Amino acid sequence: MVAMTQLRVGERAKIVDLSRVSDLVKRRLLDMGVTEGAEICLKCTMPLGGPFMIENCGQCVGIRRNEAMNIQVKPL
Amino acid sequence: MMHIALVGNPNTGKTSLFNQLTGTYEYVGNWSGVTVEKKVGVLRNKQAKVIDLPGVYSLHPLSRDERVVTQFLLTESFDEILNIVDASQLERNLLLTVQLLEFGKPLAIALNMVDVAEGRGIFIDQTKLATMLRVPVVPVIARTGKGCDQVEHLLLEKATEQTEPLALFYGGTMERAIERFRAAWGTEEKFPVRWLAIQFYEGNSYVRDYVAEKLPEATWRSLYEQAEKEVQQAEQMPPAQFIYERRRSFVKEIIEQSVQRKEIERVTLTDRIDAVVTNKYVGIPIFLLAMYVLFQLTFDWLGAPLSDLLDAFFAGPLTNVVTAMLETIGASEFIRALIVDGIIAGVGGVLVFVPQIFILFFFISFLEDSGYMARVALVMDRLMEAVGLNGKAFIPLIIGFGCNVPGVMAARTIEQPRERLVTMLLTPLMSCSARLPVYALFVGAFFATHQALVVLSLYVLGVLLALILAKLFSLTILKEEASVFVVELPPYRMPQWQALWRSTWDKGKGFVKKAGTFIFGGSVAIWLLSYVGPHGVNVNMDDSFLAMIGGVLAPFLAPLGFGTWQAGAALLTGFLAKEVVVSTMNIIYHVPDVESLQGLMASHFTPLSAFSFMVFVLLYVPCLATVATIYKETRSRKWTMFSIGYALVLAYIVSFVIYQVGSLFGF
Ligand SMILES: Nc1nc2c(ncn2[C@@H]2O[C@H](COP(=O)(O)OP(=O)(O)OP(=O)(O)O)[C@@H](O)[C@H]2O)c(=O)[nH]1
Ligand SMILES: [Mg+2]
Repeated sequence: MVAMTQLRVGERAKIVDLSRVSDLVKRRLLDMGVTEGAEICLKCTMPLGGPFMIENCGQCVGIRRNEAMNIQVKPL
Repeated sequence: MMHIALVGNPNTGKTSLFNQLTGTYEYVGNWSGVTVEKKVGVLRNKQAKVIDLPGVYSLHPLSRDERVVTQFLLTESFDEILNIVDASQLERNLLLTVQLLEFGKPLAIALNMVDVAEGRGIFIDQTKLATMLRVPVVPVIARTGKGCDQVEHLLLEKATEQTEPLALFYGGTMERAIERFRAAWGTEEKFPVRWLAIQFYEGNSYVRDYVAEKLPEATWRSLYEQAEKEVQQAEQMPPAQFIYERRRSFVKEIIEQSVQRKEIERVTLTDRIDAVVTNKYVGIPIFLLAMYVLFQLTFDWLGAPLSDLLDAFFAGPLTNVVTAMLETIGASEFIRALIVDGIIAGVGGVLVFVPQIFILFFFISFLEDSGYMARVALVMDRLMEAVGLNGKAFIPLIIGFGCNVPGVMAARTIEQPRERLVTMLLTPLMSCSARLPVYALFVGAFFATHQALVVLSLYVLGVLLALILAKLFSLTILKEEASVFVVELPPYRMPQWQALWRSTWDKGKGFVKKAGTFIFGGSVAIWLLSYVGPHGVNVNMDDSFLAMIGGVLAPFLAPLGFGTWQAGAALLTGFLAKEVVVSTMNIIYHVPDVESLQGLMASHFTPLSAFSFMVFVLLYVPCLATVATIYKETRSRKWTMFSIGYALVLAYIVSFVIYQVGSLFGF
């Protein structure tokens, strides 16, 4: 189990733990179907500590790096 | 008349369907949060009213636009819900459907984007879906209008049916909590009690406020706390999450039975575009390049030659024909002067810029409809974070380049109230299309060789000042909350020509309309003021009322380099709409076309003071329509006054510095 920030671009992983993500962001992630157990793929990252773009079931979502750091995933 | 509400997730094509059903045009774009307020239309056969709403993921609102939907469902009367479901994202769309079914209003599902779903290998058995959910389902493609007729038929038949709210079983602990709520609530029947209870336990703030009005605080608090404790104990999770999980497993079951997936393992077009556009290293350069191309096309490559043609037409053939016509009908000198020197000079002087403005709007529409807008939010987030905002604030700013009013409105999708407020306050610094005529006039006169560069510098100045002020505001007056950022990135779609044209026209027509109303009226009024003075009519313009009014301001403007009554009068009228500055100048300098005006202005301005004047026009007070929108959106007189006040101060300081420092260096 690693933080999402440890993934390489293009790598797939399963989300294990979202509990440390801030409430507002967690609500939005749930809204878009990014929950514990969901399979995601890290699409790209922006430079200088910029946001991460992840894909889940054909849907792409952008989140900040500090939130991604709090998401625990299991690489597949 | 029957009222039908369109409800669905963001960016699922609600407004596209609305446009098809009503035959009108409302704002469509390919990102989440295009529609931010309720819009009412009438079905083409005039039998029912249709209400388009912002997109929501659930009935529990987080941002201002989502509140509109919950508020609508709870406080307004309507007969039926048309739930728009994105077939390519069935799971998260049906999570909302479950909540709507629990709400118990008659409901029909329009299964949209079936073309996209099929492209991804998702095939939905709509009859199966309809039987499992016990509501009618119609597949549609809102973009092309396929299936919209069936939707219309269905809507009109459906109204008579009475539906029972869906009663999804939430498990023993939760059901007991719902029963306790029911007992405390009593018999009030406005909404299904079960629905209220579930939304209440889920933490829906809007519903909680509603419940708190009816129940004593101690009662509802203990209801909530008891449920929280019991659910946590039994299920090891908070009630909101438990409810979510339960709905999700229900939805999964339905999907399992009604959806067939064909594994199509391929790299989509979106993937390929994103590999470049959101690339770590070239993402930001590509965005800057896109902005530069947009700008060059509007001002240099395409827009400027077209505007010149139109200007030549107004100044030559049109003026001649009108003058000849007025002569043949024997119009008085007064009428001739009013029409030729007042209206043609004033209104024509602004209409000349129609080609440039339409080109600008065309490209903004293209950005909106292609799906690039959300990528801009992603790419710019790091920079925006540094100034205390988030990437989504960039969307209102870009829209603001077209017109500040929809820019301010677009800030509704920003979740954090503080970030939303700062974005609204700063959007007026974006150089909107109405300021473009002013720049064009001045750069043509004073910077003939570097036109595009000088105008570009004004746009960049606006953005830079907005970023600096964002930082300043976040550090001082608005520093409580931390910034957050989550953005949904839709797949790219090739915009259709027709849709692009509709959208361009919809934005651009405001400019033409303003020319026919505001600027027309303003031109007549200004011309009259310049024609009449304390000593009679047809006076020398320097003795007119206009000169007197403008003269009051002149001394204050002198340190900025343009202390003439003409500049004062033009700026004063520019508060109505910034284009009026140009109309006023055309009338004051009393010339037939833009070219001779530019020649004449050379005696009143130097290049430096002209630049200082343009900067002042860029920054000083938002136009009347923008101020009204800021007031409507903030509902605060204080912030509205602030938006005017800070802009004035900023404009004065920046122009002062530019002029004084420039003078020191001998420009
Ligand atoms: N391929 C395809 N695209 C569609 C369809 N319906 C809508 N679109 C596109 O989807 C995008 C979003 O459409 P809108 O009508 O603005 O969606 P909305 O639900 O009103 O969005 P919000 O107001 O942001 O909630 C636009 O780019 C449409 O052209 C469809 O059936 N198929
Ligand atoms: Mg919409």
